[in-house]
Amino acid sequence: MFRARENRRELSRRVEIARIVVGSVFALLATAYWYVQIVRADYYFTLSENNRMRSVKITAPRGYIFDRNGVPLVENEPAYDLQLYRREAKNLAGSQDFAVSVLQLSPDQVRARVERALRYPEFVAVPIAENLRLEEVAAVEARAPEHPEFAVSVSQRRLYAHGIVAAHALGYLAEATAEQIKASPDAYAMGDWIGQKGIEATYEPLLTGINGERHVVVDSHGREIAEQGRTPAQPGQNLFTTLDLDLQRIAEDYFRERVGSVVAMDPRNGEILALVSSPAYDPNWFTRRVTGEEWSRLLSDPNHPLQNRAIQNTYSPGSTIKPFLAYGALAGGLVDPDARVFCPGHAEFFGRTFHCHKKEGHGWVNLRDAIKVSCDVYFYNLGRRLGIDRIAEIGKGFGFGGPTGVDLQFEKSGLVPSEEWALTRRRARWYPSETISVAIGQGPVLVTPLQLARALSGLVEAGRLPTPHLFLAAQDARTGTRLRYKAETKPGIEISPAKLQIVKNGMWAVLNEPGGTAYLSRVSSVDAGGKTGTAQVVGRESGLAAKGKYEDHAWFMGFAPVEDPQMVVAVFVENGGHGSSAAAPLAKALFERRFGKKEPEPSGAGLVRASDTRSAGPGAEHLR
Amino acid sequence: MISRVLAGRTRIDPIVLGSALLLSMLGILFVASATAGGRLSGLATRQGIWVTAGVGLMFAAILIDYRTLLKVAFPIYCATLVPLVYLLVFGERIANVRSWIRFGGFQFQPAELAKVSTALLLAYLFENEEDKRLRPAAFVKLGAIVGVPFLLVFLQPDLGLALTMLPLAAVGLYFGGMPVKWWLVMFLILVLFCGAAWFLLKDYQKERIGTFLNPDKDLLGSGYQVRQSKIAVGSGGFFGKGFRSGTQSQLRFLPVQHTDFILAVIAEEWGFLGVILVLGLFAALLLRALTLAQAARDRGGVFLILALSGMIFFSVVINASMMIGLLPTTGIPLPFVSYGGSSVATTFLAIGLILGVEYRRFANA
Repeated sequence: MFRARENRRELSRRVEIARIVVGSVFALLATAYWYVQIVRADYYFTLSENNRMRSVKITAPRGYIFDRNGVPLVENEPAYDLQLYRREAKNLAGSQDFAVSVLQLSPDQVRARVERALRYPEFVAVPIAENLRLEEVAAVEARAPEHPEFAVSVSQRRLYAHGIVAAHALGYLAEATAEQIKASPDAYAMGDWIGQKGIEATYEPLLTGINGERHVVVDSHGREIAEQGRTPAQPGQNLFTTLDLDLQRIAEDYFRERVGSVVAMDPRNGEILALVSSPAYDPNWFTRRVTGEEWSRLLSDPNHPLQNRAIQNTYSPGSTIKPFLAYGALAGGLVDPDARVFCPGHAEFFGRTFHCHKKEGHGWVNLRDAIKVSCDVYFYNLGRRLGIDRIAEIGKGFGFGGPTGVDLQFEKSGLVPSEEWALTRRRARWYPSETISVAIGQGPVLVTPLQLARALSGLVEAGRLPTPHLFLAAQDARTGTRLRYKAETKPGIEISPAKLQIVKNGMWAVLNEPGGTAYLSRVSSVDAGGKTGTAQVVGRESGLAAKGKYEDHAWFMGFAPVEDPQMVVAVFVENGGHGSSAAAPLAKALFERRFGKKEPEPSGAGLVRASDTRSAGPGAEHLR
Repeated sequence: MISRVLAGRTRIDPIVLGSALLLSMLGILFVASATAGGRLSGLATRQGIWVTAGVGLMFAAILIDYRTLLKVAFPIYCATLVPLVYLLVFGERIANVRSWIRFGGFQFQPAELAKVSTALLLAYLFENEEDKRLRPAAFVKLGAIVGVPFLLVFLQPDLGLALTMLPLAAVGLYFGGMPVKWWLVMFLILVLFCGAAWFLLKDYQKERIGTFLNPDKDLLGSGYQVRQSKIAVGSGGFFGKGFRSGTQSQLRFLPVQHTDFILAVIAEEWGFLGVILVLGLFAALLLRALTLAQAARDRGGVFLILALSGMIFFSVVINASMMIGLLPTTGIPLPFVSYGGSSVATTFLAIGLILGVEYRRFANA
């Protein structure tokens, strides 16, 4: 059977066409590749470089914070964080379950973190949890083969070396909020920490440093293959505060069981030596894991531990207002210091009886003794003579009613009433009888503990009001450039030395003469002066129990040495009762620590204590 | 037998054989590059073994008279469908698809073999068909021959692999002489069918087609593959980044780069020159195969060559288009070059059959 050479003309023709088709298709393919590889080569080459090159942030170490003697208050320590690489995750739900089971995190937290991350590209690592314990790090590493999407990164964690000590002065760190990132997108990214409140917030730009970058080659899983260069991080500056850890500790200890505040400062330059607000919180909470529960407990605490009572709470000054009025009246020549007033224990003004705190009366008192025994009747009379507007002028002259300018956020202004204030702000006219109350620090006059300390500084400095501050100096670790606080004073009410001496002498007598309201808290080693105060709590007069919540607030302010004041102290104890018993003892302890003639302690652990000699510790050495 | 092959070396076409061998050498080379240093290293050696086995298979196919094979085409066809049915019933799913049979240490994709047997049966069918135009009866038979394996593979479910059956139908229809009017009717039916198929397609298939139509929509999902492949190809430029120096491939940005995306590796490391080399070799092989088809002794031989080279042509065009996003990713390997035993072995088998037709051009059966 021969079938060779059957008629195949048509078929041959179709093959010829097929030949053209095949040739054309290959030509088209070559053209397409030519377009991609030659015409668009640069574009795709850039993309391939972007693919393999990644910038990895090097977080700049945050500056340390020291006390004035170079004792570290805030440091950094290594911390282990859990990161999720979404691109590696086979299923996100399984990854979340793993994180929850291994780290005992709340499922809500993990879900929230993952959801937030969905807004970012897939290759961006998602911070899931911070501050893993070493066992947890081991647990994650051990299961890496099953869960390659998780990685543990090492970072620097803020460590508040002394826990709650000086918490309100130092502030704390928290993750930058969306608004904060928006405000400075170059400096902060998701998961970055930023100073909140306190020194951490005020000096954020100094402390934070400039992040560096590593340029690395990565594979498609984002795994690092090689490094091709880096921009080193510039560490934040170390910051020296004006705080004296010794004084701060004494004050903290005193307030362990009390609610209130204390400010100790140098009247000459405004350097704050101690600043306490009680109850306090441990700033380390915020850099570890704050659960929602802990956070709400902190917020719902009736004593508001987050509030800085030294600057954010305002109270009636009570009798601590008296030396300022005496000073103001003397400086203005409105009172004869030797003129005596008879105190029978009460006095009538505008048809109303006002009582002295001493029912049986002080008898004849002059200005100096009125301060010493805190005679209310004397100051009722003085107040009436001055009038509310002149009292307001004196108050403003000592910086009351306005911010002190301290380097802390959220400072309150307090209140100094005047006729104008009554009309414009209160919208009820000023009654002259109110002036009588204001003269002993009651009524609508409100001050913060820091304002009182600063006003007392102004008083002992003959009218020069220092601006309180916590910043002493900073040093750039890289360049060695130093920054120092430029101490400034504001002019207040001027006074002649002789007249000032009368007020100071009265305050000296408060502590040092029998009959002085704080005689029991006299300081043996140094001549100190001061003034007690008791602020009535609203509601007390309505006959409720005079205990606990309605107990009076106790004030004490003091300074030493009398002849050349180097430290002023303002102590406020909420519901503490009387200033002499509740507040003055702390001032005494602080003065004794500061000026006491005790043998200097042997310096422990290489730290030079600053109790006696003012010789600097190791940190302060850098400042020379 | 071997001596006969060697003695008549002029009758074994050097262009087809040479192109095939060169392409498979390139394949081994770039499988080595694409798998270097990873857990897949060693695959190049395995590919070498597959190529050797494929060449053996090719010579075997040359030596067996294709006329004998055409006579038993139907039993062979049925025999190769058995594993496909077996897979549907007992198949183990790999990547959610039942297209692989495991023998001990290696896997085999029986659909590849089914393509060759279908080509054989197609050649047998057209051997006695008239030259001028396609008869309706032949049309129906052709539909059945191609339709059965298509359906079996489609149900695995592997749409991409099933589509590689269709060029056989196209070859039969075109070279069989289907009138233009029929083509138009077919086209209309196809359009209607696609509309209906959209409702039958699995989600991942729709997604792939959607990605093809709008690749920037889902850059990190299935659009990722196409995008990375285009970056690899484009960044290669004219000369390429050098062998084993492609960042896209060496850093594993390319998906399944030693199998489906091997051409992107070549394009990145050897540039446009490498692509032209590969496409040139394929063009030479296929155009030469068409010449051999014209010269074949009988219609069966002509159609055998046309069907087998059509199969190869289709795979090359689809694969090369996939790399630069001209067509959606369908999982079709590049013949000779992509890693994979089934593909290499059956492609060499196909070459063997093509060369066999030429080898027996003057023989008298």
